Amino acid sequence: MAGKSGREISAVPEGGLKEKLLSWEGALILILVAVNILGVAISPVYNVTNVLREMPKYLAEAFMVFGMGYILVLGDIDISVGSIVCLSATMACFAGNAGLPFPVVVLVCVLTGLVCGMINGLIASKFTELPTMIITLGTQIIFRGIAEVSLGSGGSLSMKDTSGLSALGTKIGPFPISFFVLVIFAVIFITLLSKTTFGRRLYAIGSNQTAAKYAGINVQGSRFFAFSLLGFLSGVCAIFLLSTLFGANTTTGNGFEMEIIAMCVFGGIATTGGKGNLIGAFIAAFIIFCLRIALGQRNINTQIILVVIGLMLIVSVVIPAISSAVSAGRKKQGN
Amino acid sequence: MKKKNIWQTITGSREASLVAVLVVLLVVIEIMSPSFLAPANVSQIFRNNALTLLMALGMLCVMLTAGIDISITSTLAFAGMTIGMLQKYNIIHNTFLLFLIGSAIGVVCGLLNGLIIAKAKVSPIICTMGFMYIWRGMAYVVSGNAWASGADVAGFSDFGKDGSPGPYIILILAYVIFFVVMKWTRFGRKIYAVGSNPEAARISGINVDRTVISVYTIMGFLAGLAGVLSVSIYASAQPNMQYGKEMDVIAACVIGGVSMNGGRGSVAGTFLGALIIAIIAKALPLVGIDAIAQNLVKGIIILAVVILNVITQRAMDHQNLVRREM
Amino acid sequence: MKKKIISLMMAAALSVTTLAACGGTDQGSAGGAAQQAEDSGSGSESTDDAGKTYALVTKSAGNAFMELLGTGFAQAVESTGGKAIIKDPQAATADAQISEIQSLISQGVDSILVAANDPSALTAVLKEATDAGIKVLTVDSDVDAASRAFFVNQASTELIGQTLLDACYDIAGGSGQYAILSATSQATNQNAWIDAMKAAAEADSKYANMELVEVAYGDDEPQKSTDQTQALLSKYPDLKVICAPTTVGIAAAAKVLQDTGSSVKLTGLGLPSEMVEYIGEDDAHSCPYMFLWNMIDLGNLAGYASVALVNGDTTGAVGEKFTAGNMGEFEVVDVDGASQIILGNPFKFDASNVQEWADKGM
Repeated sequence: MAGKSGREISAVPEGGLKEKLLSWEGALILILVAVNILGVAISPVYNVTNVLREMPKYLAEAFMVFGMGYILVLGDIDISVGSIVCLSATMACFAGNAGLPFPVVVLVCVLTGLVCGMINGLIASKFTELPTMIITLGTQIIFRGIAEVSLGSGGSLSMKDTSGLSALGTKIGPFPISFFVLVIFAVIFITLLSKTTFGRRLYAIGSNQTAAKYAGINVQGSRFFAFSLLGFLSGVCAIFLLSTLFGANTTTGNGFEMEIIAMCVFGGIATTGGKGNLIGAFIAAFIIFCLRIALGQRNINTQIILVVIGLMLIVSVVIPAISSAVSAGRKKQGN
Repeated sequence: MKKKNIWQTITGSREASLVAVLVVLLVVIEIMSPSFLAPANVSQIFRNNALTLLMALGMLCVMLTAGIDISITSTLAFAGMTIGMLQKYNIIHNTFLLFLIGSAIGVVCGLLNGLIIAKAKVSPIICTMGFMYIWRGMAYVVSGNAWASGADVAGFSDFGKDGSPGPYIILILAYVIFFVVMKWTRFGRKIYAVGSNPEAARISGINVDRTVISVYTIMGFLAGLAGVLSVSIYASAQPNMQYGKEMDVIAACVIGGVSMNGGRGSVAGTFLGALIIAIIAKALPLVGIDAIAQNLVKGIIILAVVILNVITQRAMDHQNLVRREM
Repeated sequence: MKKKIISLMMAAALSVTTLAACGGTDQGSAGGAAQQAEDSGSGSESTDDAGKTYALVTKSAGNAFMELLGTGFAQAVESTGGKAIIKDPQAATADAQISEIQSLISQGVDSILVAANDPSALTAVLKEATDAGIKVLTVDSDVDAASRAFFVNQASTELIGQTLLDACYDIAGGSGQYAILSATSQATNQNAWIDAMKAAAEADSKYANMELVEVAYGDDEPQKSTDQTQALLSKYPDLKVICAPTTVGIAAAAKVLQDTGSSVKLTGLGLPSEMVEYIGEDDAHSCPYMFLWNMIDLGNLAGYASVALVNGDTTGAVGEKFTAGNMGEFEVVDVDGASQIILGNPFKFDASNVQEWADKGM
């Protein structure tokens, strides 16, 4: 996408890149520690119990980070995820209220997400000329539109039988169930992207689609897979979100897409494709969650929190650019 | 031969195919709601969508350089809220000065985008996403949870009042200037050059960074101007104003045939794209579609038009290929 | 190099976050009384046994209507020596309110007053608050009766519906077409009032000649409300009255009608400060009169109700009475299974008093 050709010229050699990525994650871990120290310093109630208690809503969001990471590595983008969450949650509520057993409700929720993702993937792989931003902008309006129409004039539907959702929201020790599921997903998807041939192919597609195609990689198939995966994960997010909301309405999941993309980018994944990995994004997600919780407990204006996240985002992309420019300048001088 | 020429112009130019889409859309709407094309209604279409029409021009330039700017409505809100509050607290009431301040805020916001994107080589969507949060937050901070409304902006709102030529003059001026600049000036050609091939542009002596910076500054200026205009047209400044509407502007450009990969797009196409979006917004409540289903229908139309564009483009390329082989 | 990047990032992160904290306190001095209340609230988490902490979760940030509610709430709470925390969610969604309520549970406040963005989505989090020993009540928009002690209602839904219908009847001169311009099709309050209007219209044959032609939705956006108002005007040439029971919608519609010099008149629920320009009996003004309740009084009442609930002056059971500061005695009543206290009747704003109320900041 944008400015890619400009980037490739100034691209750092392989070793340097790897070193930079490693240190980026190191830095992220340090920032996570710093944010937690800050939390303890500014809020007397910032402790493990409270943070974990406030976490479930955010943990649900974190599932989408993996799917979005794959999409961004491919050089695509998906801004329909918030609407997919909304539609999945809506369908799950209809299923639940129709008296279906809870496992079926979960299945409906996740499958709705998967189907939405597959629709995105299908359009993206059939109409390759279309930027995925525009495709998913269209489906963003459509998916939420379907939810709006099915929710009707009330615009809100609550699950009558909440026993299944409550069970999903229970805690094992201080940790909510979603935390364990998230960790398992993290292990699977991080390994898949960084340790397998499949993952390396995604990077290849992201850094140069044409070259990847000639190298015999199934480019469109991989893109279809990534969009479907993100749809599926949005469905997973929806079911865990339901365990805190007990119902769906037309604003459910509003604005999630930008938050998720911001987490991925803050975690070091470039939107131009082919760069970054999920570990960074995963840590970045927790940095943003902890920061939100800490500043929230200090009762800082929510809009200021948005400004802070915006600043962090820009600082996090500007600093590596400046430092690489500086080192490039030094090399030039050395020559 | 002559017949082929007409066929060629219809399939051979994006603008022509857009006009066809527009005509079909208008015929359908006119059948469902006669009097849609009454002069009063048409002028309302332009007035109510002046912001989208105006910002689409800036977005055209940004997208021509293969960039994107999703911070525009936040810039709009920041500029609009600032001038709203300046009037609410009786600091400034001079219309010209307010326009100047609003646009200046926009220029600063745009310049920051441009500098970071050009100099630090940050990807445009990320940089502008950061500022999307920042300027929106600033709009809230400036507002202090208050709104500026009718009485606060009395006098100033006469400029954008229904019946006042103000918004139309701005629109016509902006479109004429952009049409001339993009078509016949060196600066316009530079923008196209940077978008189609930055390396080639650099080699041929174009200062790529400076072009990119000016493009985002222009976008910021238009967003700031749109903010002022919005307060004037609706006599209202609220921090959440035009929230999420940046996507309408981007959709308008893409429908108008502007490529997100840079280098391709025109002022005429942008105008038609924005007009299609405007007509959809105006027509949905008129043709009797259930309020709840209006968003759904809007989404389907946008996606359908965009996909249709691709299909005609393919047919067009195919035809060109056949012609060349002959 | 590696170390350098890390240290740079650390510095950046820390400076950014400290900046955030400073920004948060700056906001207080810039804003109104409510913000100051927020700041004094935020300083009070240190276990100060003397003062109790009362929290309000509004519908969203940047909402002038909610700001007035917050001002009244803070006044009432502070007059009893308590501390007020006002939380404005990032957006007008239930998701955003959940985060704010969770944070308040962590802070161990004594009561949470919420103007709900969704009637049912807050059930789980409010139960968690109740389990943590926090008193929960609602204002402006209710949740299920089981999730809170009681609802502080601005005016009974039936009365608002009846009042609005009577206004349409009066302005239309007893017969003719009228339309409603609402916020979103999902807005709980608006839908309840519109339903009450419809019910009232059917209940009395006096309204037989009044025809409700359409309920349009402007989504509380000036642009969409403008489009919808114009659509109503061109679709129904015989339209006599538009009723907009939403502050953003009524202001947008008033501007459209007044600018075009339309003969269609407007009424509904609006903020005086937003509507000064448009209210008047003559043809130059589009809105003869409109209604609202005193938002600051509503905030006051909700503040006193929070205090009474925390102090044990009332449990919120139907039939109980308590004294709300200088506002007199209020009784918890049951309306369709929802226990509530009612502020009073909708207040009429016309040319004679709108300026005065706007000057008071409402």
